[in-house]
Amino acid sequence: MKAINPFLAATMIVLCAAIPAMAEEMIKIGVVTPLTGTYAPIGQQVRWGMELATKEVNQSGGVLGRQIQLLFEDEEASPAVAVQRAERLFEVEHVDFLTGTVNSGSTLAVGQLAERVGRLMATTVSFADSITADQCSPNVFRVNARASQQSAALAAWVSGQKPNPRVFYLGPDYEMGRSTVAAFAARMKDLGAQDGGELFAPLGSQDYTPYFGQIRAARADVLYTSVAGNDSVRLLTQMQEFGLLTNMLVVGASGTVTSQNIKAIGDAANGFGTGVGYTPAIDTPENKDFVQHFQTSYQTDPDLYGADSYGVIYFFKAAAEKAGSTDTAALREAMRGLRWMTPQGEKLMRAGDHQAEQPIYVVRIDGGAFDIVGKVDGGTALGADLCTRF
Amino acid sequence: MQETSDYLQFVLAPQMFTGLTMGVAVVLAALGLTIIFGLLDVINMAHGAFYAVGAYLALALERVGFGYIVLLPLVVLVMAAFGYLLQYGLIQHVLTRGRDRHVTTLMLTLGLAMVIEDANRAIFGVETLRPANPIPGSAAIFGMVLPNYRLFLISAGILIVAAVMVVIYRTRFGAMVRAAAFDRQMAASLGVPVKRIYGLTFALGVALTGLAGALLAPVYSIFPTMGHDFLVMAFIVVIVGGLGSVTGAVAAGFLLTQVQALASLVVSPVWGSPIILAVMVFVLIMRPGGLFGRLGHV
Repeated sequence: MKAINPFLAATMIVLCAAIPAMAEEMIKIGVVTPLTGTYAPIGQQVRWGMELATKEVNQSGGVLGRQIQLLFEDEEASPAVAVQRAERLFEVEHVDFLTGTVNSGSTLAVGQLAERVGRLMATTVSFADSITADQCSPNVFRVNARASQQSAALAAWVSGQKPNPRVFYLGPDYEMGRSTVAAFAARMKDLGAQDGGELFAPLGSQDYTPYFGQIRAARADVLYTSVAGNDSVRLLTQMQEFGLLTNMLVVGASGTVTSQNIKAIGDAANGFGTGVGYTPAIDTPENKDFVQHFQTSYQTDPDLYGADSYGVIYFFKAAAEKAGSTDTAALREAMRGLRWMTPQGEKLMRAGDHQAEQPIYVVRIDGGAFDIVGKVDGGTALGADLCTRF
Repeated sequence: MQETSDYLQFVLAPQMFTGLTMGVAVVLAALGLTIIFGLLDVINMAHGAFYAVGAYLALALERVGFGYIVLLPLVVLVMAAFGYLLQYGLIQHVLTRGRDRHVTTLMLTLGLAMVIEDANRAIFGVETLRPANPIPGSAAIFGMVLPNYRLFLISAGILIVAAVMVVIYRTRFGAMVRAAAFDRQMAASLGVPVKRIYGLTFALGVALTGLAGALLAPVYSIFPTMGHDFLVMAFIVVIVGGLGSVTGAVAAGFLLTQVQALASLVVSPVWGSPIILAVMVFVLIMRPGGLFGRLGHV
């Protein structure tokens, strides 16, 4: 056997001794996000956003003089898997903070776990209102806009475009589709809209043409839809084929037309409007810097997931620096009512329900790109605090 | 009276037109399956994958610069060659295993489907793609809006079905196909080149399926798992029509899509699939062999 170089051995020993010491000093943030499967493109944006912010924070001295280390685990968009992975991060890796969950069910489930182990978490993607309403948790924060913020802004804009419109609602036939339609219909009704009828088509429908008779017969001014992915491609292009897009304002959920399917929809997407918490088109110096850094690093535009995931690192930094530690109680106190800077501008974490308040933009597609056509201020879009648990 | 005619003109007639266009789509998607099923007795689980390959191929050719209508015959040729090679190089080798034939071919084509699907994903990415509608615009007939491309689909579909029927029932090649489907040994002993007929029939089935994918892509868009869309419906059509019967597939395709389109006027969309399956169960109870008999057996 060849003798081991004593110099090399000494170097190894020093390095081994140094690694735990460095790990002691690092702040660990666990990220449970979908890295495979249908939601992998969302997880990719989450990862990019967080890595970019972490790099910037670490280069400018870290948080409380400590560097941030991100530990990724695959959520697989399944609450059961998310809890398992989060448990590992909390119990084995002793992470200081957890984030990244996409599926709303995962966020709720991991939130319960966080409460049990006495740690804090934040979601940057999940839309379900319940996370910061009837199922709110003292250990869970949401830095992105929830579904009702988006629909409130969109409803206000639609009423401005077509006062007292007749609205037809078309959603995919599962929980998300039904809840988004119900929420938007309730808002439109408050604003004086007439109900032109509603329809729930199976997820993954090939042909929407059998329903066009019903849509035509409704003589609606506005169509609201919350279909997503390939369903949006088929619905909008088939509506265009049958001449249904003329004389009708088509609006929908923020996930209906995305960078993933906008090319396939082509000019059938023109005129489609939606409410979002972020768009790369926001015209502020902070956002322009962010978009430019994001593009240089990843050769693509950030979407709302990337922007809010970038923002959560600064949320944590601001809170930890205000608290002076990463202790759960101190950190929670610091996060409540915190104001911090994000690509969207300053956000406020409402103390009452841990929901971020931010302006919501109404965007409309024109020639394959989203244009900002309206902006609703944070307070109006946010609505009442419905959390009664803390 | 006015109400009745309004209902006929603005509700029933457009709905039946919709059913007709969907019928053409379903029949096109099922033709290849029924031919392969009827002659080779192969349950082709890669059918959906061939459908997707046809669509992707059309998209690739379009990007190279071919006009959409011009590239359709090219898709047919390439897909036919692809099918012939697959049959010659793979399927043929597991065909002779007697009783295990169904299992071996099913496993082989299922594996093939996975490979093709992942290859599509690797080459074209996971994003939804769509070739531009080659014949945009619409015609107004009796107050109904009929998109031009759907009218083209209906005419093209009818032509393709007629051509296939002529080939199967009126040509020497078709007679050999039917003979081989009826009794392979007997056909071989009478001088029918069974191996070549198998290869050519598989090629025909794959080419038709690929053509269906290419024709329907502008309407239904293209993505890696698009083949799953029509797989179930195509199998139902083949079973209701009678295994391997071309006439049966055409009749069942139009029947089931009309049922689906008209049913959606009165019941919630989620009941579409259960109604189709109920029709299938009913047909199988009344006529276990399907509406029409097996290829080569009638």
